Amino acid sequence: MKKMTGRTSKRSRDRRFIFLMLLPAFIFIGIFTYYPLLKGVTMAFQDYNLFNINNTKWVGLDNFRQILTPSAMNNFYQVLYNTLKWVIASLFFQFMIGFALALLLNKPFRGVGLYKGIAFMPYAVSGFVIGIVWRWMYNGTSGVLNDLLMRIGIIDQPIGFLAQTGTALNSVIVANVWYGIPFFTIMIGAALQGVPEDLYEAAKVDGAGVFRRFFSITIPFIKPVLVLTLLLRVIWIFNMPDMIYSMTNGGPAGSSRILTSYMIEYIYSNDYGMGSAFGVIIMIILSIYTLIYLKFTKFENLGDY
Amino acid sequence: MKRKTISVLLAVSMLAGTIGTTAVNVAAEGTEEVTLTLVEAITSPERTEIIRSICDKFEEAHPGVTVELVSPPSENANTKIAQMLMAEEKIDVLEVRDQTFAQYSNNGWLGTLDEYLEGWEGRDTLSETTKFYMNAYTDETYMVPYGFYEKALYYRQDWFEEAGIEVPETWEELVDAAIALTDPEQNRYGYSFRGGSMGFSYLDYITTSNVGADGLASLIYNVFTGEDSTIYSTQEALDAAELYKKLFEEGSPKDSIAWGFTEMVQGFVGGTTAMLIQDPEVITSCKENMEDGTWGVAPIPKGTSGQGLIPTGFAGWGITSYTEYADLAAELVLFLSEEENNTYFTELNSLIPIHTTAAENSEIFKSESFSGYMEMLQNPDVYPATSIPYNYQAFSELSTQADQWTQNYLMGNISAEELLQTYDDFWLNALNEEGVLWK
Repeated sequence: MKKMTGRTSKRSRDRRFIFLMLLPAFIFIGIFTYYPLLKGVTMAFQDYNLFNINNTKWVGLDNFRQILTPSAMNNFYQVLYNTLKWVIASLFFQFMIGFALALLLNKPFRGVGLYKGIAFMPYAVSGFVIGIVWRWMYNGTSGVLNDLLMRIGIIDQPIGFLAQTGTALNSVIVANVWYGIPFFTIMIGAALQGVPEDLYEAAKVDGAGVFRRFFSITIPFIKPVLVLTLLLRVIWIFNMPDMIYSMTNGGPAGSSRILTSYMIEYIYSNDYGMGSAFGVIIMIILSIYTLIYLKFTKFENLGDY
Repeated sequence: MKRKTISVLLAVSMLAGTIGTTAVNVAAEGTEEVTLTLVEAITSPERTEIIRSICDKFEEAHPGVTVELVSPPSENANTKIAQMLMAEEKIDVLEVRDQTFAQYSNNGWLGTLDEYLEGWEGRDTLSETTKFYMNAYTDETYMVPYGFYEKALYYRQDWFEEAGIEVPETWEELVDAAIALTDPEQNRYGYSFRGGSMGFSYLDYITTSNVGADGLASLIYNVFTGEDSTIYSTQEALDAAELYKKLFEEGSPKDSIAWGFTEMVQGFVGGTTAMLIQDPEVITSCKENMEDGTWGVAPIPKGTSGQGLIPTGFAGWGITSYTEYADLAAELVLFLSEEENNTYFTELNSLIPIHTTAAENSEIFKSESFSGYMEMLQNPDVYPATSIPYNYQAFSELSTQADQWTQNYLMGNISAEELLQTYDDFWLNALNEEGVLWK
């Protein structure tokens, strides 16, 4: 009997010890992660304008109603469509080209180190700076891209890439693809290093061709990395307004607005209430996406091969 | 038991670590040494150096006082400073801009300077423009301007001479000249159009110049013609909108619909466009990149009213309402605004100075490149000082949305009437919600 209580109290003392050790971490996460998050969510239901913050009031769902009601100058659904196009097109090309580069760089050849260094470079620069550089390259009167195309003879009139509703978003997507390729090259390249060479040799002996080896060995082996990088990348591209902001600021005529760049427009006009409402909508969309994606890819079972 | 004690101690010390730093700061302030914190908003390394050197002079004159200069990156300085003010972080003197003035004063973040200005000897030489903007929105004085971003017309002297065209004096002449000088074959265009960030304000310039000072309800709230009407419902606005579109379509590069400040200046300085309407800041770029005699500066074009109304950008120095050293902070503001220091600051930053005497005493302001500006300052009847309804909350929303509206118009997605209707509705709604703010 006596022994039992001794053991229980030791266990509860252990538990208290563990709790105490974790407490500082909980407090810090609470203050720096969850408090701002909750504050942001509550602001979405307020008329919270930095112009006059002594006078904030609760407005219920008004902010959301204003966002979701389309008008001639403000069309949420157009912005949503742009966002999907931005994410899917950027991701598709980043992934395909990044994957291809990773496979190429996986074979040793002369100067592979130097080439890797050059290929990874864009990733080290801030998106804002990349945006400004590309904006000058696209410039319709003094941009290098127009100059090159005209010298080659493909076009005879300069194109205002960022100045036409039809080309603005696509042009930013091209810049974003260029910017995002190294991420996939790095991640997939690292994963490829882990595929054992003898598996390929065994498959070769059994008569498997290049495609068979690729789809039956390479892909299953690096699948956890593929699933995770795609998941993360979608969220990052979705949440990356810096290139749009620095290249077109959503223009011309709203044709390259995405949800996050639109949110920034409101924040810069001091309307934190509307900005937060956008934030909440973005959070909801990304949460739903993540749940569906993880279920669809059977994330828990990954790595059982 | 021992382990538990240690863990508790660790937890406590971690928490204490965050509080500890503040305690040290408080202790330091108790001594004789005083630190004034000055926050600037439009930052660049060169400019920071200029302000630093004036602060050094202030420190020399006030032993025991240290001026700490805080320079957040320009792109998000306004937001950053607003957050600092909200948290009442230590700021004694700060840069107040036209676009942030209303926000700061509405929230009670600024301290009044009237009592300090009373006995200040520099007050007598302040220009009319300075006095106009100093008390434009409030009766109390919350800031002393340090200079003005006044607009003027930059033009290619050589191209105009070559084509035998006079430098335009009105918006209509400007559009005609722009069309005459446009030659896409040579990659030459008449006008550095601004269709991107804040480009919508140029349509307002033409509209208000057409309406004229007498037509406006208030020179400071330049979009209203009365307590229930705006400039956008006038015939003058329709004329302006059509002229504006003509200027874009026939006299400007196609991709200028996306141009912001840098592109429009680059367009002119780089030899693509013949005309540019901008601040005196551009003089420096012109001097660096263009040959003498190829460019000139003229007063802004006039509208059909016979007047040229372009709001002048202004900014200045103020003190916070919660500063511990209000007297000393105000002294620093006045020190920065003294003729000698202000002239030094405005000369190097290429701004219009605040003292009338500066124009007489400074070689730079007497020079050819500033003559267009000085001509405007000397003719306030033709070029009256005006401003934008900055202290309507609606304005900050408008400034992020209106570019998309005017771009829709320029691309032909909506008609001039629809564009003006949108503006009219917007401002009538603002009047309805926020009331009449002018006296």
